[in-house]
Amino acid sequence: MSCSRIRKWIPLYAGADLPARKARRLEMHLERCADCRTEVEEIKTALDGIRAFANGEVIDWPVAEWNGLMARVKSERPEHHQVSRLGAIPRKAWAYGFAIVLVLGVAALILRSILSPPASPLLSEIISHTPAQPSRSLTIDEAASVSYPQDIPFRVPREQGELDRAVLAAGPAPEKTTQDLMSMTLVSQETGLKVHWTLNKNFEWEEKK
Amino acid sequence: MDEKESRLVELVLGGQTEAFEPLVTPYRKLLLTLAYRLSRNIEEAKEISQETLLRAFRYLGSFDRRRSFKNWLLQIEMNVWRSLGERAADEGTLRELAAWNTHEDPEERLAGKEAREKLLTCLDGLSPREREVFLLRDIEGRSVKETAEVLRTSPISVRVHLSRARVKIRRLVKDRFPGLMEAQR
Repeated sequence: MSCSRIRKWIPLYAGADLPARKARRLEMHLERCADCRTEVEEIKTALDGIRAFANGEVIDWPVAEWNGLMARVKSERPEHHQVSRLGAIPRKAWAYGFAIVLVLGVAALILRSILSPPASPLLSEIISHTPAQPSRSLTIDEAASVSYPQDIPFRVPREQGELDRAVLAAGPAPEKTTQDLMSMTLVSQETGLKVHWTLNKNFEWEEKK
Repeated sequence: MDEKESRLVELVLGGQTEAFEPLVTPYRKLLLTLAYRLSRNIEEAKEISQETLLRAFRYLGSFDRRRSFKNWLLQIEMNVWRSLGERAADEGTLRELAAWNTHEDPEERLAGKEAREKLLTCLDGLSPREREVFLLRDIEGRSVKETAEVLRTSPISVRVHLSRARVKIRRLVKDRFPGLMEAQR
């Protein structure tokens, strides 16, 4: 280890304030570096000298002044604001408390996800597992006799070129079949109620069960 | 905080204000000496100590008894010292200092004065923050953690200032008191 890096540790080492791991590394360096050893010794000597000076310098109050000060202090009244219970809790305790609450919250979420019943299948899943009804074609007469219920909340408007009874009647009837039916089943996830809608190929309302 | 101090605090808060004197008497020299080392002025040191004791009495109700009473007093003193601000050392007052301890004999007084002046010469070379850290850790013997607590700073900050202060002290002692270094070898 280089001297330049070690030297910043020397002041703390000389006052026994360097963490043990760094102190061991520094001591290994000191064994082979005379300059650093000298620096350590000089700081230790300076500190010992200053402490020796300090021991010879203890100042005390003159008795009269001390008594006067105490008399003045006693004439005052201490304020009775006790340390609040929350304020008395050290910061570490707050940190630990917060961490515990956080961990418990996460654990509760995990448990909830494990213990709760499995989620209902999606509508698309239900439909895909429902066997499709066999499709059939309507004859022209059947198609003509279809009556449109009046309670349809909406109705897809006819577009040009779509099936028209008059056109069908005028033209040749190809193999007596004109259009296909489409069936759609809607299932309520909550109540299990099933509604079957039957639509023709123009998406017009045919049947509702 | 020991039991005796806790009982005295209880008495003071209970209205027996005379219990305050035995509570703070063990620290009166410490507070005055530290204030003097910080301010380098005896009048200012008396002012700082007096204000420290007044605040300690006034706010005794807010003292957390799980803490050290000594550290609490030191913390108040540091706050007072900082609020008063650093002032230039009064050399005239320094010279009068030897007359303070009237119970000392003239030889002791002279030796004491000499020691103080030597110490002050070295402390002059430190910044206010370095001086605070150095006095608490190296002279008063507080741990790094306690020093940080008293100064309301982090142990890392204490180590940084302490490191700088020790490097400066080494240089000052070496320059101004070369005989000391020689004597130690």
